[in-house]
Amino acid sequence: MTTAPNAQSPLVIQAKGLVKRYGQVTALDGADFELRAGEIMAVIGDNGAGKSSLIKCLAGATIPDEGEIFLDGQAAQFRSPIDARRAGIETVYQDLAVAPAMTIAENLFLGRELLRPGFMGKVLRMMDKRKMLEESISRMNDLKVGIRSMTQAVETLSGGQRQCVAVARAAAFAQHVVIMDEPTAALGVKEGNMVLELIRRVRDKGLPVILISHNMPHVFEIADRIHIARLGKRAAIVDPKNISMSDTVAVMTGAKSVNDLPPQALAH
Amino acid sequence: MKNLAAKLPPMGTLGPFIALLVACAFFASQSDRFLTLQNFSLILQQVMVVGTIAIGQTLIILTAGIDLSCGMIMALGSIVMTKMAADFGLSAPVAITLGIAATAGFGLVNGLLVTKAKLPPFIVTLGTLNIAFAITQLYSGSQTVTDVSEGMTWLGNSFRIGQTNVLYGVVLMLALYLITWLFLRETAPGRHIYAVGNSPEATRLTGISTDKVLIGVYVLAGVFYGIASLLSVARIGAGDPNAGQTENLDAITAVVLGGTSLFGGRGIIIGTLIGALIVGVFRNGLTLMGVSSVYQILVTGILVILAVMTDQMSRKGVR
Repeated sequence: MTTAPNAQSPLVIQAKGLVKRYGQVTALDGADFELRAGEIMAVIGDNGAGKSSLIKCLAGATIPDEGEIFLDGQAAQFRSPIDARRAGIETVYQDLAVAPAMTIAENLFLGRELLRPGFMGKVLRMMDKRKMLEESISRMNDLKVGIRSMTQAVETLSGGQRQCVAVARAAAFAQHVVIMDEPTAALGVKEGNMVLELIRRVRDKGLPVILISHNMPHVFEIADRIHIARLGKRAAIVDPKNISMSDTVAVMTGAKSVNDLPPQALAH
Repeated sequence: MKNLAAKLPPMGTLGPFIALLVACAFFASQSDRFLTLQNFSLILQQVMVVGTIAIGQTLIILTAGIDLSCGMIMALGSIVMTKMAADFGLSAPVAITLGIAATAGFGLVNGLLVTKAKLPPFIVTLGTLNIAFAITQLYSGSQTVTDVSEGMTWLGNSFRIGQTNVLYGVVLMLALYLITWLFLRETAPGRHIYAVGNSPEATRLTGISTDKVLIGVYVLAGVFYGIASLLSVARIGAGDPNAGQTENLDAITAVVLGGTSLFGGRGIIIGTLIGALIVGVFRNGLTLMGVSSVYQILVTGILVILAVMTDQMSRKGVR
């Protein structure tokens, strides 16, 4: 499972020529994107480079004006985040992801509660609390999230643990892809590392991850490839093992052109 | 010691029980007529209407909303059901259904204004408070409807357990609390109400339609107000256009005293019943002591502020 993805791994998501305009502003100007099976693809870019518009298109939160998105080679059209989720794409947001006074188990299943069989579940919408609790424990164990009680309120957890709950929820329900929007931005060093470790385990379980981050050391620590967004387009996909952090930032800010990079720095 | 403290329910849950017990102990020491079954039966009768309104109010406050119009909608419901029966000779079940439809309709209006027009619940229900009051007065001509059939008042009848009279309406109220408790605790829609009050943004992102939850809550609250209309008619044996004036704020008081957070997302419905009983016990106990009703209002006001302070402080403790 942990074999490194390579150029032969199938494309899980592919976007071609995405355009998104907001009035006079062109946020996406023919952007491409690709994600292979089993990889962590980091997305970086300056403010206004179009990375959040790109991610919103992939997560179904925005509908692109032009361009196409393919999921497993099939053309896909997401009209809402719910469409994207039905297609197996789960998104983890920076800090809005959990209901603080509710328990971990409740948060994991919020909006997708497991119901009891028959009349009790179908008509009265009664939940199968025991099954939800058991599933929560097994899913959190799978990802080695070291939280003992699933019945404690999320607000009793640290920021990093809360983010782990959000990541675990996405990983538990995603069929295809997990998108993470700045998952470590609000966290301290130790907590950030805890979340990074979890993201790696999600990848190792076979789910590809799209990671949006401003944190270069984090990106270089866990990304398999890095998508650099610039001026509404994809400037390059680089290989973090063969490029320096400063060159990456230089491409991101436009101080260096892609043509100035050595060929092995580019990822394929 | 630490383990014991962790096992006990949080103060927000336990506080109302303690307050009720302390109040009962105090009044028992002041009046030997307080601690009798007959008197407790009386207290339950007195809180039957406000207790039922407070169920709807709890649902709304759990979503971080508030309903200032609850008592006035209740009064409208009781006028609609009694006048429909008196003016058109409708049978009691039909008239009652129309009354509850009217209160649920007002709930729907509240819910739509809160979600679709995105107005704050406080302002919306301040508006509908006045609208419901005016409609009630206009429709009834400010006259009490006294021509009420047995079919609408039987909930005011009582049966005996030993020496104690118990009203059917009290049993209905207690049953409604039990059903709502199960609904909030055991069903997915019930948990969504907590989630919306807790963090609307996180709830929306999980794919739950927060608008549907909110509209549902306001309509459901309207249904509870409609049932309270019927209980009010049963209790006084008439449709009273001036009903609901004390119940309006007493219902909010009961919810807050019961430990439900005004910030939404936290609270249990049984707490509201305890809160309603606290209000009822104070009214009853102070009356037995011969204290003027103005002081009863004073005491209720102080209790509300204390309850909100506790809520505020317990939240700070968590953060």
